[in-house]
Amino acid sequence: MRATARESRTWWRPWGCESMHDVTAARQIARTVLQAAEQQGAGRVEKVRIVLGAMQMIDPEQLEFWLEQILRGSAGEGAEIEIRRNPLTVRCRACGWEGELEVPDDPIYHLMPWIPECPACRAEELQVLGGDELTVESIRVREAEGADEDA
Amino acid sequence: MPDEADNGYDIVIDVDLSKRTSELADRNLELLDEHGVRAIDVLGSVGSGKTTLINGLIDQLKPRMSIAVIAGDITTRIDAERIEVQGVPVVQIQTGGACHLDGEIVRRGMQRLDLDAIDLLIVENVGNLICPAAFPIGAHKRLLVLSVTEGPYMAVKHPIMVRQADVAVINKIDLAEAMRVDVDRLMADVRQVNPEIEVVTTVARDGEGIADVVAALGL
Repeated sequence: MRATARESRTWWRPWGCESMHDVTAARQIARTVLQAAEQQGAGRVEKVRIVLGAMQMIDPEQLEFWLEQILRGSAGEGAEIEIRRNPLTVRCRACGWEGELEVPDDPIYHLMPWIPECPACRAEELQVLGGDELTVESIRVREAEGADEDA
Repeated sequence: MPDEADNGYDIVIDVDLSKRTSELADRNLELLDEHGVRAIDVLGSVGSGKTTLINGLIDQLKPRMSIAVIAGDITTRIDAERIEVQGVPVVQIQTGGACHLDGEIVRRGMQRLDLDAIDLLIVENVGNLICPAAFPIGAHKRLLVLSVTEGPYMAVKHPIMVRQADVAVINKIDLAEAMRVDVDRLMADVRQVNPEIEVVTTVARDGEGIADVVAALGL
């Protein structure tokens, strides 16, 4: 039986490592979110806003799935997960070209480094301006129960 | 106040978690330097001989420095038990599914050790050559262990890891003939991927080549 393209792509991922990294990322996000909510004395977390750079080899759907699972039973259970993709933006150190680059969606780059070159002068010395981040931007929370009653 | 009606409000967090990986590693290095501890991150596939090599290193170095080990494993304590026999402090970290150690996990391991009492910290990473490449833990040297029993393509198939290592050990060279692996070719592959790397051959089980590893690590 022939595997479909989608299945074979999944199979290609080295030992499911990518999905484990999704879990690691989701755990860190959950911890960051819950700590911030607790520090501010907030109640339920209603929304989590995340920026996922194109250089991060993380599948947004998997990230959302794991984050939802990890937040179950916490103040963040059921929170809406908003993931904004950020394209790779670079500046060429050689000629000064600035712009967006397409990140190849090829699983081989889990094994090999992807070395992009400047579309203008072919130099490989590119400075990343954006697109390598995994940022927890902000959360939307409800006031804690106690505060509710006081109001 | 907007949204007062539903008691909802926004909390700005703005934390880039991708930078935390290297930040944590840098902080570990600072802490180690403060306490005068050298740290070696040992990387290699399951069965490459990491634990046996670490035991060999401890044997040689124990008379002149005090050593502690942090051993990472997905679920078992086998490695820690093998090293504890040597009488050095061992912290076993079961990553519970994660395929690599990271700066935070290693920091927690370090907290369970008396850093002032040790000169050398050996960290045995999880047996895998792909994911640990993306997670620096904060070590002074990265020691890569390849063995001929893994076949002839280990170096070319893991270029990112090879490029990040300072010293590469080709282990189990006594089995090279049986495995039909050309050790010189494997060494050349390693050097082609990383011209800066030091390559050493060993039969760790018999203690062969351990002194060369010690020298290559500058210990």
